[in-house]
Amino acid sequence: MNGMILKNARIVDPVRNIDCVGDIGVADGVIVEAASVKDPQIVDLSGKVVSPGFIDIHVHLRQPGNTAAETVATGSMAAAAGGFTSIVAMPNTNPAADTAGSIELLKRTAQEQAVVHVLPCGNMTKGGKGEEMAGIGSLKAAGVAALSDDGKCIQDHALMRHVVEYAKSFNLPILDHCEENTLAAGGVMHEGKWSVLLGMNGISSASEELMVARNIILARQIDWKIHMQHISAAESVELLRSARSKGIRVTGEATPHHITLTDQCIKKFDTNYKMNPPLRSERDRLAVIEGLADGTLTAIATDHAPHTGTAKMVEFDHAPFGIIGLETALPLSFTELVVKGVLTIPQLISKFTSGPADILGMENYSLAVGNVADITVIDPEAKWTVDKSKFFSKSRNTPFDGFNVQGQVVMTIVAGKVVYSR
Amino acid sequence: MENSRQLFNAGEMETGVKEIAKKIAARFAGKDADFALVGIQQMGVVLAEKICEEMKALGFVPDFGKLDITMYRDDFGTRDILPMINETEIPFDVSGKEIILVDDVLSSGRTIRAALDALTDFGRPGFIRLAVLVDRGEPEFPIRADYVGFNVSLPAERKVKVYFAENNGFQPGIYDVKWQ
Amino acid sequence: MQWTRKDLLSIYDLSAEEITCILDTAEKFKEVSERRVKKVPALRGMTVVNFFVEPSTRTRVSFELAEQRLSADVVNMQAQASSLLKGETLLDTVKNIEALQVDLVVMRHSAPGAQNFIADHLKCGVVNAGDGAHEHPTQALLDLFTIREKKGSFKGLNVTILGDILHSRVARSNIWGLLKLGANVTLGGPSTLVPREFESIGCRVCHNLDEAIKDADVVNLLRIQHERQTVGFFPSVGEYAAWFGIKGSTMSKMKKDVLIMHPGPINRDVELASEVADGNNSVILEQVTNGLAVRMAVLFLIAGVRK
Repeated sequence: MNGMILKNARIVDPVRNIDCVGDIGVADGVIVEAASVKDPQIVDLSGKVVSPGFIDIHVHLRQPGNTAAETVATGSMAAAAGGFTSIVAMPNTNPAADTAGSIELLKRTAQEQAVVHVLPCGNMTKGGKGEEMAGIGSLKAAGVAALSDDGKCIQDHALMRHVVEYAKSFNLPILDHCEENTLAAGGVMHEGKWSVLLGMNGISSASEELMVARNIILARQIDWKIHMQHISAAESVELLRSARSKGIRVTGEATPHHITLTDQCIKKFDTNYKMNPPLRSERDRLAVIEGLADGTLTAIATDHAPHTGTAKMVEFDHAPFGIIGLETALPLSFTELVVKGVLTIPQLISKFTSGPADILGMENYSLAVGNVADITVIDPEAKWTVDKSKFFSKSRNTPFDGFNVQGQVVMTIVAGKVVYSR
Repeated sequence: MENSRQLFNAGEMETGVKEIAKKIAARFAGKDADFALVGIQQMGVVLAEKICEEMKALGFVPDFGKLDITMYRDDFGTRDILPMINETEIPFDVSGKEIILVDDVLSSGRTIRAALDALTDFGRPGFIRLAVLVDRGEPEFPIRADYVGFNVSLPAERKVKVYFAENNGFQPGIYDVKWQ
Repeated sequence: MQWTRKDLLSIYDLSAEEITCILDTAEKFKEVSERRVKKVPALRGMTVVNFFVEPSTRTRVSFELAEQRLSADVVNMQAQASSLLKGETLLDTVKNIEALQVDLVVMRHSAPGAQNFIADHLKCGVVNAGDGAHEHPTQALLDLFTIREKKGSFKGLNVTILGDILHSRVARSNIWGLLKLGANVTLGGPSTLVPREFESIGCRVCHNLDEAIKDADVVNLLRIQHERQTVGFFPSVGEYAAWFGIKGSTMSKMKKDVLIMHPGPINRDVELASEVADGNNSVILEQVTNGLAVRMAVLFLIAGVRK
């Protein structure tokens, strides 16, 4: 029943190191042998690439608290359109996701309204304020996939150490927003040539690098997994590279915007270029790309941060940080990394699948028979123009409107069900 | 040069300038004249210089000023092209002075209206008279020239241009051209 | 040269030709200020709103006088950026101003680029009277006007700007203007306040006072803000004065005909000793006079463009 065969596709499955043309069977929500599907619906995917469903480990769904900007329903639909079958929902909602109750509410809302898997992430500290440890045990029991204070960074090193030690005992990975506050105070963009020329307060690269270094030291000492979110600075990449070569359990993610844009874009004062960490220099951009190329950074995550048009229609200084990213992640990354020859298609797909799965501790995240049928299909040849008016997200705060890109998500299957196709 | 015709050549124009100078000279003959020529930027200044030379030949030494009326225009902010401001130089005390305002063409009268405002901002002249090389005869304001080189009657869509030197293919002279 | 801009937002945007056009126009307006009636009817019937979302006395008075001397109708509006944040947005506020059939908005704001942001959404002209540490174009234009009046030309002229360059919109506007007109620009002051990044656009950065001023034809001093001390940019006003202040004795280390400039208000005996501020090389009060002519020229040019 409910059977489907994806035929003639290029199957790219990084975990099993598969890259070949073939067929995939789907029945009862799981992956099956194609030959075993009775009376199947045949989907011819010649020329398309089929991979395990993409995972975005960094998404802001804004529900509860700012449903004018995004909801679980709209955010999950945007995720589906971007090829993501699982998204990790950051806890900086209002109220914050720092209690089991918040997590249960999110899970229930997701069950009713979401078209993709929503993996809750709990706060490390109460209210994400970096002062007192949150109820990590009960968060685990409620079903969080990870812990984060994203948007903020615990400044108190002793507290951070205790959080990491405690999280380890509950087998929860830490996703950390690396930012030392005094070196970022009042900053609205990268501190460098352009902040100096524009007279804006800068956010020093050192602010990120210091906390990356701090986390590396704690990860080594505690022997636990700390993942560094949205790595933006060249030295951060170098610190991670060196730490990983020593076997320290640290990982890092890159965002599509940090590999495509630089601080120079801000000279027109468009608030759609304002995010944290900020767009940095060309040298930083190239270093982040190099980090993806050599495996230092194992995941691409969007930091999808919806804001209403009203919220962004203000002076640059007063605009909130963040841009949406779910629906542009694959094409931007494909264009910047695959088209330009930095990564192969399987390498790029690993950044959206096996990389983030590994960070979350999901084992055997592949298209193997018996696994949940979370599948993403992309057209690697499609050349198109980003049109934000067509987005599923409730918000439109993107600087990429009108960008010409290559690579397009054509179908997203979640637990055997086609939730998006074009 | 297309769609234009010469009304008066250089020689005729020179005669016209001399005529104006003579008429002004007659006005001040025998008096202890304390008068000034004030040319309106830009062609009025050139004309005023020429009249001034003629007057010197006739034994008069008038004071000389240049007046730009851009800041006094009544069509400011409504034109596609913003006229650039030229120099204003009134190096004498205007108060009580007898002033001959000089412009090349009297057309609508609006320039002269602006010039009167501009000039009176410098003081309270004794009197002001107007000298023009060409009077088109149908001003939009109640303004008349006192010293005229040539009277020319043309339809409103035509423009009178005065060239004292060769300009853009035009030989010196007075022309009837189409409005641009 | 034909002026076509409906707004004056920054010197960065302008070509050398446009800057020269403003300075030339300002010369004509300087003459107006010497007339018996110091007023011309150019902006008669036009309404100008001076919208200051950051306190200012000098600049606002200079603009207001310039507007009045152009015969514009003038309205002054003050607001606090903080109250704007809570209530109406900046864009709504200026849209409301525009709906009253205003022709020009002269605006000061604490946020860099705030004027660029609103100019994109308004049909009426916008003149930047200072946006955070970004630009203060009319101040730079009056500085350039004063320099040109005294020194004739910018080509090869050595201009040193001293002080808190990092937080100065006056410095940024001056730097762009001077570079575009062909001057050599040196930036001097403590390393915490004079970032090396300015070298990337062709400035010389110098953290030693004597070296910064040795060959200068012009020294433009910036006001040192006491509040920078509390966030640790320099140890004390006294130490600043000792190391980077221009004292009477400093004059012997400079060219005899050096111009001493300051956008005001001066911290006497901090960045600039009284005897120098009031001395023969100082053109500080002439800057103020020229500011009026420059602002008249800017308003005239901006208002003259058909919207």
